[in-house]
Amino acid sequence: MFDNNVFLKDSCRNYCEQGKVAGFELATNITYYRGIPLSMVEYIKVAVDGAEVPNDTIEISVDRIDWFTLKEAETVTTYKWEYGEPLYIRVPGEGLSKGEHKVRLTVATRTAYIPVPLEGIKERTVVIE
Amino acid sequence: MIKTCVSLYSLQDEYLNHRMDLEQILRYVKECGAQGVELLPDQMLHGTPNPPQEQIDLWNRLIAETGLTPVCDDVFLNTNLYKNRTLTHRECIDLLIDEIKLAHKLGFHLIRLVSMVPWWVQEPLLPYCEKYDVAIAVEVHAGMAFDVQATNDFIKEMKRLNSRYIGLVIDTGIFCRRMPRVVRNYEVSVGTSPEVFDYMDSLFAQGTDFHQVLLKTGYQYPDELKAAMKCEHDKLSVPLLDGYENYPFEVLDDLIPYIKHFHLKTFEMTEEGPEYSMDYKALLEYLHSKNYDGYVSTEYEGNRFTLAGQPMQEKKQVAMQQAYLKKCLQEIQG
Repeated sequence: MFDNNVFLKDSCRNYCEQGKVAGFELATNITYYRGIPLSMVEYIKVAVDGAEVPNDTIEISVDRIDWFTLKEAETVTTYKWEYGEPLYIRVPGEGLSKGEHKVRLTVATRTAYIPVPLEGIKERTVVIE
Repeated sequence: MIKTCVSLYSLQDEYLNHRMDLEQILRYVKECGAQGVELLPDQMLHGTPNPPQEQIDLWNRLIAETGLTPVCDDVFLNTNLYKNRTLTHRECIDLLIDEIKLAHKLGFHLIRLVSMVPWWVQEPLLPYCEKYDVAIAVEVHAGMAFDVQATNDFIKEMKRLNSRYIGLVIDTGIFCRRMPRVVRNYEVSVGTSPEVFDYMDSLFAQGTDFHQVLLKTGYQYPDELKAAMKCEHDKLSVPLLDGYENYPFEVLDDLIPYIKHFHLKTFEMTEEGPEYSMDYKALLEYLHSKNYDGYVSTEYEGNRFTLAGQPMQEKKQVAMQQAYLKKCLQEIQG
């Protein structure tokens, strides 16, 4: 139902720190029709070429300034993921190798009245040059 | 007098994908001829329930410039703010007090509380409702309507307190006479068996609905449905189909004095006039006969059933529904 909100086009790329690749990042809109505090992100999964990235390595941010692991985000209520604004997701490490990759993003949010989380999934082909 | 309104929920995809900003959206609602507007602050304002002053100023400026009436403020209660526990009663009430104060700053006199908001918030909130002149009304929504404990508990407490500051918002998804075909088309496009929808259609043809069937069977799927479920995907999609109910309008007879507002849910306005699954004209005639005095608000939800690759119809559907309502109300009210 919210699959179309997931994984913004052209948002997946390697990022650098101090001149070196420090991981890869991507961005997504919310799988809901309103903004929520970060603590209401139920889960996020990233898979590259069919292999899921270890969950404890994923970090998220609404402003690319303060980053939280998914575990840390569970208590973050001062920052809101606004409707119409992206959530930034990054996976620190070696980044994606050159060439074509299938990157699949799964995003689920807790909602105020629906007992099951609202999930959205999208896979994109990403080319790293 | 019945007046028209548009819920900005209807234009969510335009906003999400930055094709329209709040200003363009409010001007469009005005162009469509609506008298009032309904807002989800969590959707189109930032930092709610305590937004920066600029957000409040922007809203109030646009309301002044368009001349739209701020009719209904759609509020949510994040009882599951944390993963490891549910909010306490006091935490819930404090959050809602902030929402009442915000509604007041935005010029609203009515808050729609999302379905399933617990009944016990009413009495502690009442002094704040009175102080800020903001009523609170829980939404009666298909799948969460008159057979659901939380809704009935809310209604019982509402009647006990009997204040003009406490009431109900009715979502017309409880008055579906057919299964929306946009739901069928979308679900089939993502893998649901068409036979499942043939079954749903047969229930409506018999004057009932899937929700009623599940109530009677204790949430067991009847054999006819099991036979219609041909693939694994059906196990995921069938539970989503109990949110289309087929109540008679008369279910509202005793509740009319408490009803503050209506969401005129729209799945698909058709070229020939009426909405595909609901009979708005008959509903408006019923409300007129009961002397309902308030707004009916366009709530387009076909957006989430837009087929991949097809253009979003939000603006067109809102304009079509507003035009149809205007025509009906002219005939009914003169």
